[in-house]
Formats: sequence, C-alpha cells, structure tokens
Amino acid sequence: MEEPTLRIRELQKDRVDFVMSGVDLAFANSLRRVIMADVATVAIDMVEIEVNTTVLVDEFLSHRLGMIPLTSTNCEEGMRYKRDCPCLGFCRYCAIVYEIDVRCTEGEMNVTSEHLTMIPPDQWDHDEEASAAEDILAKRGKNFGVPAGPATDPDPQRKPISLVRLRKGQALKARCIARKGIAKEHAKWSPCSAVGFEYDPHNKLRHTSYWFETDEKAEWPLSKNAIEEAPPGDVFDFTAVPEQFYFDVETTGSLNPQEVCMRVRLPVPACAWKLTMQCRVWQSCKISLLR
Amino acid sequence: MNALPRFELFTLGDGEKAIEVVEDTKIPNAATIRVAKQDHTLANMIRGYLLKNPKVLFAGYKVPHPLEPHFILKIQTDGTATPVEVLQEVCTTLLTLVAKIEGKFKEQFQQKELEVGLEEPYGAPGGRLPRGDYTEPRRANAMDYLDF
Ligand SMILES: [Zn+2]
Repeated sequence: MEEPTLRIRELQKDRVDFVMSGVDLAFANSLRRVIMADVATVAIDMVEIEVNTTVLVDEFLSHRLGMIPLTSTNCEEGMRYKRDCPCLGFCRYCAIVYEIDVRCTEGEMNVTSEHLTMIPPDQWDHDEEASAAEDILAKRGKNFGVPAGPATDPDPQRKPISLVRLRKGQALKARCIARKGIAKEHAKWSPCSAVGFEYDPHNKLRHTSYWFETDEKAEWPLSKNAIEEAPPGDVFDFTAVPEQFYFDVETTGSLNPQEVCMRVRLPVPACAWKLTMQCRVWQSCKISLLR
Repeated sequence: MNALPRFELFTLGDGEKAIEVVEDTKIPNAATIRVAKQDHTLANMIRGYLLKNPKVLFAGYKVPHPLEPHFILKIQTDGTATPVEVLQEVCTTLLTLVAKIEGKFKEQFQQKELEVGLEEPYGAPGGRLPRGDYTEPRRANAMDYLDF
C-alpha cells in the first residue's frame, strides 16, 4: 500500500491548512466528511424560556442559543451522550446547565454569549448515585462548556456572540441545557465553520469544465494550491487520478484544529472495525450452518 | 410528534444488525451487503479501496433512500476470495491507513507547534490536546535537568 503523506502548511488557533497525498479521493473525501460531521462537541440543546419580551420569538432565540460554540476540549471522553447516560433527564455527566437573565433598564443593550452563566452542577444535580463516574469530569479540558469568546481567547479583539438587542423594559430569562452531540444530528454540533477541500488545481484531470464569457484563463484565476503542482503538459493523461488533496479546516472555537483532526481516528475505525468484526461473526455463523 | 429520535440516524437500534450479507444466487462470487446506520462516509471509502483490490471484479454502493440511514454494497470477486473476505481485507487496510494518518497528524502538529513557538494560545482555549503518549503535566515544583 502507498504510504500516505501529510504536510501542515499553516496552523492557527482556529485554522489548519494541510496537504495530503498517498490516499484515494474517496478516503480524502471521507476524512472531510468525518471532520465536519462526526466529531463530538457540546451545544445547547434544550431551552426553557421563562420570560421573553424581546423582539425575537422563543424559537428564534433557542436556535441562536444552540448555535453558540461552547468549549468542548476532550468532549469525546469528558462527557456522556444523553442516550448512553443512565440518569433520568439530565445529570452532570451528560449535561451542562446555563442560565441567562437579562433586563434592559436604560437605553438599549446587546445580549451576548457573555450573559450566559453556567450553573454549577451541585445546584441542579442532586443524584447521589451517579457520582460514581467522577473521573469523567476530570477528563474535561480547561474552560469546558464556556462559550468561545473573550472569556476563552486571549485575543483582545475577540468579541462575544450577539444574541438579541434589547430596548428599555425588555427582558429575557431562560434556562439552557447543553448536551454532547455530533453534526449528523444537528449542524450546531459541528466543530467546523468551514472545511476547504480541493484537488487538481490546474484541472489536469478535467473533472470539471469551466463556464466563461470570453477568456477562460482570465475569468478563472488559479487557486493558491496551484503552486504545489506542475502546470499541465500538452498531452491529456487519461489514466491519471487525483493524488494531492488540499484541506483548509476552520473551527468554530469549540475545539482546536488539532483535536478536530486527531479525532478522525475515532469514528472511521469504529465503524470499519465494527464491520470487520461483523464479517467475522457472519463467517463463523455460515461455517456452523454448513456443518 | 411521531418523529424518530434524531440519533437513530446513526446509532444502531436494539438488536439491529450492523451488517447483513446476502449472497447472490445468480452471479458467481457476488454478494450484496447491507450496512445499517452508515452513510457515504464509510460506503464511498470502502468502495474506493475495494476497487483497488485486484481480486475484485465489481464494487459499487448505493444509499437507496436519503431518509433511510443505511447503504447497500455490491461486491463481485474473481473467485480467489469471497466478497466478505475482501471486504474484511479492505476494512483492515482502512484501519491501518487511519492509524498512519493519525500518526502523521501527531508528528506534524508537534513540529508546527514548536515552529511557531506558541503552545498555550493555540487551540481551544486552554485545553491541551490529549495524545496517546501524553505524559503527566509537569508539577509546579518538580525538578528537571533543565532547571539547573
Ligand atoms: Zn445523565
């Protein structure tokens, strides 16, 4: 088997740009899909609104709350899925509870992710029985559950996320329950805001044909990845296959790019492994049937 | 209100089989494999690597309905191995490949972090990436050979 190669071209706190080769297009694409939809994070999943006299309806606000990226470092091990948790309702191992209680008394004000306050689990989780899994909590990264923003980022330019704007007399009070999930269920759990994916920047393989007005070359400038590959020769090589893949992963702030990329080992092998095991089970069944 | 729980799109139900194999009675060395609760992510990857295997004559997959979370994989081999055997082979290949990629990521990230010389500000706020060979964080007053 061909040896895969990987080269990180750029690494920032919320972005990683890498080039991969030695794998199939199918594999590279699956990797992209896994990065987008199979990595677990925490997001607000239930909102109980007590007071809402803002201009936005309850559903609108609930949606906006759900979209807030919450710091989810090592969420995979530090939290349980609701469906896997033996508790009734919610507990400290499968939920994080927040409260938002804002009233505008003077002029106008912005409600942001900064107004979301995490309620310590002791105040809402009184289940003694469940506390046997204390080590799960120890696996969580720093600031776990804190909305990504000024509280978690040393960058002075970093702004919190706007939720709604209030006028004098308007108020919002709600309790929010955040849970662990993956983006296959809802896009709010995706650790990425965008994943750039490209191969064959010169279109040597002719997988696409460009639409143009007058001049194809002028209207379709080459991407920055074009310098990585030699420009096409005169002869079309119809046996060529995609070989290099350019990824540009941008995270929402819930996970760092390192964790997003390293976590790919979990979902893909998990299902491939399951599959191999099932194959074995199936084969042994067949053998016993034949006998 | 009669919608299924959303997670049923990707988690196996009680007693649900992850994989079902039906051998083809009309085509030699062929089988149809139904994989539950999986989508293009796994299906296309397996199909791609099946086609690279010289024992495979045909490999293709389809997701029969976008709202039904399963896919169907069709494999025909040249007879030197059964379709299930080649599928197993391909899954093992993929597992090794993912492990290799993971190693490369680890290596490259470590290198890049050193290059930029920033460790703490990288990454989600505060948290360090859990690594396989992750050693215990250094205790505040522990001595090490560089401290002298
Ligand atoms: Zn629970």
